[in-house]
Amino acid sequence: MILPVEVLLALVVWGTFVGVDLVSLPQMMIARPLVAGTVAGAILGDIPTGLKLGIVFELLQYDILPVGAVRYPEYGPATVAAVATAHASAGVLGLGLGALVGLVTGLTGGLTINLLRRINSRIVHAAAAQLESGDPGALVRVHVGGLLRDAVRAALVTMVGLVLAWLARPLLANALTVRGAVILAVAAVATALAAGAAGTLRLVGRGPNLAWFAAGLGGGLVATLWLR
Amino acid sequence: MAAVNGARGKGALARALLRLFAVQGSYNYERMLGVGVGVAEEPLLRDLDATRYGPAVARGGHFFNAHPYLAGLAIGAAARAEHDGASPDQIERLREALCGPLGSLGDRLVWAGWLPFLSGLTMAAIALGAGWIAVAAFLCVYNIGHVALRWWALKAGWTHGTRVSVALHHPMLQKAGAVLGPAMAFAVGAALPLTAAFLSGPFDAWARIALAIVAALSFILLRLRGDRVNGLRLSLAVAALALVAGVLWP
Repeated sequence: MILPVEVLLALVVWGTFVGVDLVSLPQMMIARPLVAGTVAGAILGDIPTGLKLGIVFELLQYDILPVGAVRYPEYGPATVAAVATAHASAGVLGLGLGALVGLVTGLTGGLTINLLRRINSRIVHAAAAQLESGDPGALVRVHVGGLLRDAVRAALVTMVGLVLAWLARPLLANALTVRGAVILAVAAVATALAAGAAGTLRLVGRGPNLAWFAAGLGGGLVATLWLR
Repeated sequence: MAAVNGARGKGALARALLRLFAVQGSYNYERMLGVGVGVAEEPLLRDLDATRYGPAVARGGHFFNAHPYLAGLAIGAAARAEHDGASPDQIERLREALCGPLGSLGDRLVWAGWLPFLSGLTMAAIALGAGWIAVAAFLCVYNIGHVALRWWALKAGWTHGTRVSVALHHPMLQKAGAVLGPAMAFAVGAALPLTAAFLSGPFDAWARIALAIVAALSFILLRLRGDRVNGLRLSLAVAALALVAGVLWP
């Protein structure tokens, strides 16, 4: 993957915004893979690839309910890296390789979120006396420090993802046959669909909403067959 | 009290709302959202006299955890209680009492309702050919609800103070909760087959059959062993297997 410097910079900046949006600021859901992937696709001049990988990671996102202090993978910057990978490798090969790079980046992102929260805890603990003094300046300093650390974290995760995207083609694409590329894409799409369905059923539960889910599923199936 | 209800009060509310968008900026395992809540509450405390301002700011930064979109309710209520002269114990108890209800209400309304509902509609729309316009519409519509909820929560907390539980029983919230669950279930249910067809469009017949088998087995595994296996781990494991098979299979 050889991209112009300005495109790479734009992807890093976008990945940083996306990473910060997940938890810190402003949670307007540009961190959702659908949005992160589409804009990454637009930056690369390849919106269809952005939409496809956006959907793959959006389905995986259904596996996560970000309640309390639960630990979860970070699929926003992961989708940006996935789209960059897929853009360099056309068609089905791009879908599989992109998903693989995105999954590894998502795992890395999740680990860094946990690490950042631990670092923030130490800093808050160390500043306890200042915070208890009621000094608003101390409160703002600790808070803004957390925001800045999250921005640095998000930028680093995006850069790691883009390095993986850069390595994917020479290391993996050339080793895969056409059939191998299809198998990888099938694996990525199948597990994403399974995660989406399983995650949604967890949200839906066994109550009356299950009937609505079944009705939607039936309607979607009819529409899919109708449009074939 | 006149000052906090007049133009200065509105300015303080606007500043608090802006800060609320970054309420989780210093999220940590010690005070959770606490520091962010203190930062967002601070503009609402500036009218307090010097002897009460410092302790109120310090209290604002104590442990707090709730849904970020509804944290404003606790912020507004605590700030109003400070102005009304409630005791420190009362204010701490108010904050503690609000953590659970605001967390569960926000999770139900937003994370398990509004967000997956719109996301499901967007995926279905993309699969039907709407393209990036569906994504732009998702962002606009989602954030109308998002910003409205944050503003309502802050204002309701500020209006009701220690009697803020009244706001939690607002009929609009009850109605939204009742509608969003079924709507989310229907939208995501409909999106699943449509996205499956959309993503498998370039696959040959044998690959589509393989897709159906792997998806079914993965789904069963996630349902039966969801305590040990999650979507990411399973996807990575299956992708690694597929990669090995893809390299070895001529």
